[in-house]
Amino acid sequence: MNLMIQALLVLLVVSGAGVVFTRKPRRQVMAIAAHGLVMGLLFMALQAPDAAFSQIVVGTVALPLFFFVVLAMLRKQGEDA
Amino acid sequence: MPRPRALVFFALVLALLPFLLRGLAQLPALGHYRGPYGDAVNALGEPLRHVTNMVSAVNYDFRALDTLGEELILFVAANGIVILLRGARGHGTSARAAHILHRRREGRSEAQTAGGRLLAGVILLYGLYVILHAQLTPGGGFQGGTIVFAAALMLYFGEGYAAWRQLIRSPLLARVEAFGVGLYLLAGLLPMAVGARFLENILPLGQTGSLLSGGLIPVVNLGVGLAVAAGFCSIALELLEETRESGGEAA
Repeated sequence: MNLMIQALLVLLVVSGAGVVFTRKPRRQVMAIAAHGLVMGLLFMALQAPDAAFSQIVVGTVALPLFFFVVLAMLRKQGEDA
Repeated sequence: MPRPRALVFFALVLALLPFLLRGLAQLPALGHYRGPYGDAVNALGEPLRHVTNMVSAVNYDFRALDTLGEELILFVAANGIVILLRGARGHGTSARAAHILHRRREGRSEAQTAGGRLLAGVILLYGLYVILHAQLTPGGGFQGGTIVFAAALMLYFGEGYAAWRQLIRSPLLARVEAFGVGLYLLAGLLPMAVGARFLENILPLGQTGSLLSGGLIPVVNLGVGLAVAAGFCSIALELLEETRESGGEAA
């Protein structure tokens, strides 16, 4: 286990804690995106670049986008009611 | 005073923690793979299928039937989302981009538009590269398809929703997705027409390292890439449409 993997694991704990301890939903979505990016870098360091591609696109781009869409939908429904 | 439920939780944690630690202590060290199959595939993939990316050899050849199942799951999921959301809104309103009522329209900066266009081109090219080199380098149809989807999203960030809907057409997405899944099914059925088994690799395997090596692998991989890119795009399109008031004049 080399230094880069250890550093990324520590960073993963930090970004994961960031997701858990963030209270505002929109900030939490950005924290999830950061967490996904760290996870993608960890996959890259573990020599799984193909898994890293999917992780970065899905975890850092698609998942936060869908969360934002759901938050926007909730806001819209709140205005309708 | 903690609630009884929390007390039960912590008591169970204390009771089960030794078992978890014992199991963790006996895990193989990071990077020490002990199963026989990975080594077997690494040894046999190149001589049997003339490919250098063993993940693709497993996904699109040795276990291609499993990948067909995953492909159909994504296809059904994307179709389900489109049918549910578009059906609830009404089909007539889906051709045009909806807009958000009462929103103050703020112009986006030139830097954002330029950045979106620049990134979209580069990311699209990279996604196509990853799809086309599935049998040679890490990546493949699924990964490349998601990267192409990311390129489409960059256009959305750069151009705005209405212009994005002009570029990414829903009927085209449906056709590309259906073509991708159909290509995979056809690649499975055609071998049966010449007397081989379902998804059996009947095409010439080609030169190891060439773009057309691997026989059927590039074909089914292309099907997966098209279906994944179009499927993700349709899901994003329907979800984004859901945040807007449909039926109004698009601004």
